[in-house]
Amino acid sequence: MAMEVLEKELEKLKDTAQLSNSLANVDKIIDLLTAARSEVERANDPHVTSLTLTKLQNPVQRGLDAVLDDLKVVHKGQVKFGKALEKALTTDKDTKGSLPEDHDPMAQHPTLINRAIAMHLLREGQFGVASAFIAEAQPQRPQSSISQLQSQLSPLSPSSVTSPTSPRSPEPYESHLTPMDELSALQSETLQSSFAEMYSILSSLKERKLLPAINWARSNCAELEARGSNLEFELCKLQFIWLFKGPSVNGLPDTPENGRLGALYYARENFGRFQHRHIREIQQLSCAMVYASNLPASPYRSIFDIAMAFDEVAASFTREFCSLLGLSAESPLYVAATAGAIALPQLMKFLNKVKGKNTEWTTTQEMAFETRLPKSMVYHSIFVCPVSKEQTTAENPPVILPCGHVLARESLQRISKGSRYKCPYCPNEGSVKDAKEIIL
Amino acid sequence: MADFDKTNRENHLLLDTHVPVPDPPSSYHLATTPDLADTPCSSLQQDHPLLRIPLELLRKNFRSAHFELEKDKKNVVETLKETATRAVNNEPPPTEDVLKSLDAIIARMRGVKRKLAASADEEQRLYRHETARVRHLAEIYAMHTTDDVKYEVWSRTRLDRMLVDYMLRQGYGDSAQSLARERGIEDLVDVKTFEQMAQIRDSLRNGSVTEALAWCTAGDTKKELRKMDSNLEFMLRYQQYIELVRPYTPAKLSEAIKHAQRFLHPYRETHAAEVRQACGLLAVPPHRAASYPAYAALYAPQRWEALAELFVATHNRLLSLPSIPLLHLALTSGLSALKTPACHSAEGAHRQSAEGRANVASLASVCPVCSRELNDLARSVPYAHHTTSHVEHDLVLLPNGRAYGRERLDDYARKAGLLDGQVKDLRTGEVFSEERLKKVYIT
Repeated sequence: MAMEVLEKELEKLKDTAQLSNSLANVDKIIDLLTAARSEVERANDPHVTSLTLTKLQNPVQRGLDAVLDDLKVVHKGQVKFGKALEKALTTDKDTKGSLPEDHDPMAQHPTLINRAIAMHLLREGQFGVASAFIAEAQPQRPQSSISQLQSQLSPLSPSSVTSPTSPRSPEPYESHLTPMDELSALQSETLQSSFAEMYSILSSLKERKLLPAINWARSNCAELEARGSNLEFELCKLQFIWLFKGPSVNGLPDTPENGRLGALYYARENFGRFQHRHIREIQQLSCAMVYASNLPASPYRSIFDIAMAFDEVAASFTREFCSLLGLSAESPLYVAATAGAIALPQLMKFLNKVKGKNTEWTTTQEMAFETRLPKSMVYHSIFVCPVSKEQTTAENPPVILPCGHVLARESLQRISKGSRYKCPYCPNEGSVKDAKEIIL
Repeated sequence: MADFDKTNRENHLLLDTHVPVPDPPSSYHLATTPDLADTPCSSLQQDHPLLRIPLELLRKNFRSAHFELEKDKKNVVETLKETATRAVNNEPPPTEDVLKSLDAIIARMRGVKRKLAASADEEQRLYRHETARVRHLAEIYAMHTTDDVKYEVWSRTRLDRMLVDYMLRQGYGDSAQSLARERGIEDLVDVKTFEQMAQIRDSLRNGSVTEALAWCTAGDTKKELRKMDSNLEFMLRYQQYIELVRPYTPAKLSEAIKHAQRFLHPYRETHAAEVRQACGLLAVPPHRAASYPAYAALYAPQRWEALAELFVATHNRLLSLPSIPLLHLALTSGLSALKTPACHSAEGAHRQSAEGRANVASLASVCPVCSRELNDLARSVPYAHHTTSHVEHDLVLLPNGRAYGRERLDDYARKAGLLDGQVKDLRTGEVFSEERLKKVYIT
């Protein structure tokens, strides 16, 4: 709402307050002056000269005043817009107070931040920006080594690789180097070429080409299986359906390798390896063959509805690819910055309250106020002891009583009498040594 | 007793509805599937500078245009008057002289036009920026939850903005420009402003005050600086003085004294101590300064870095830019909001390395604080405060002391192709039979 008002104000400002509006008046003065000049030159007579010059005084003065008036309009517009802006920015009750600029723990870790940014840029596929960034964020070194590093970095565009590259297992990016060395290590090709491969496969997926992804999944099937991922089967299944739909949908040439026949052939070639695990789904897919003529009315229509399938499979491919690199699918920098934006109003509200009370804004370990983040941003189980209302930590872990209730260890020690306790949540009693530490 | 058990169970049920169910770890768009009570626009405070900067620059642009115009107007009017007066005098000057001064006036007016046109161009550029920014923020105002599909796109643009801002402040101009170009957000970032700033800052670091002084005295900046009680100009003049004393040759010393009379003397009341020290400096050549710490500090090369910092701070204050990068703010508040005691514990470390080897199912959505990118950085912030537990509602305990949601265990067992009635630890990979699971009650 506030922005709509502001947008209107801005339109008004742009319509009226234009410095260029004053140019016409400047031109008029120049015309006056040039006219007077030619008059003086033409007559070449002291009398005419003095007359012309005298007559020139007032119009020029007035002209200049007019230019200044034009500028005043601009100024007025700016003042008005400035007020509208302040109003728009202060209407939200949450937005009072200033940004907490005097507390900046991040300032001490520029290299860590630079490393995080470099990795973010690489994983976003911004290879050009990443290499510029790494070069600039690098501490000064001899010119030769920089150019040497630069030459190693030929920016790879994901779309330039169209043929499926020979799939190779991404090497987990493991490093025991200092952050600065690591920044230069990012310069090295490993991570970048891994992400280049990922983007090349993703762009194939976007073009509805599944084979590069299937090849990748196949050559990494051992790792994927250990992760409990069905990616390879999901991809093969989609390929089957894609072929099944035939040339009218998939736009592939009308050959025996396409259409129902092609799908059947593909299934025979590829589904064998999934038989023990996915037999049910394979059965469904083969049964669907029978209904081929009127699939939309068959019980199998949901399987063959692939409107979202390519996007979904691309998402799970990204996730698996990144986790094989030892990285999360979503850029941590993005998640952290978004969480930061969500949490900032609370932080500011808190700071405004404690301002002037000379209190530190945090304890050393724990924040002093609760920040509510969206559920999708809760990554760990958080256990708050119902007795002490404290979060459990490695030093004070959660323990489970034989009755199934969970407390923090310190709370249990506090409520126990000698070696016996009574559960605060049910009538059970027991011995403290029967409480077992658990990992949530 | 039976009744008690019943109420107890009901309580659990009741509580269960309050305990958030962690998303099934299939969601790729981690950050965009929240249901959040706060509307996204309550997080706009950090974006206020975005709208303010173009306006500040517009004002500055206007003031310098106005300043120049006033100056030129005075000059034109006076010259014209003088020429006219001379023409009507008893001894009129030859026509050529009149033409000459008329030409000068015309040239001056052409200059006025040129300057105004340049200011008008700048004005157009700033209008474009402000329009783009108002629209950009209007988008988030139009969203009511962070669930909105458009929120992710918007939030990514915000991150890009913060990155460009960070890069510009760090002086990584090329990276900033190419990122802004790639993402098409040139109107949302202030590359030009920061580049000018970086140039002046770097010239200070290289031991030159000329550029900074020019900035201080250009247009009406001087007036603005006085309004905000800035001592930047004084510090620059002071440094100039020190540099004149440093060679310690008679010629330079007398130049230094003249400089002090002209530029330092006016500050004798506001900066009494410094001005007195400046006089004292004349008696202490650099090679003898070591025994006088106060004077040694004046000769110290570190002063240049301090001047550069002072300039940046003054520049940012003048344009009401935040003094620290927004990225720092977002990371400070975001990392601590996300951080849990587990993130830096031994268990967290184990989890992290385990994921590195990619041999466990683990939690597919990896915590950003535990990620290699941010783990070290997050050490400097405290962990989030929670008053309620956030665990899966169907927790069961495995015999090895680890608890997981039942649904997730079953899901994983199915994917791993286990026999019926078996489950597999999501982290360690141990297989247990169902009978050995134990229900966990979280109150």
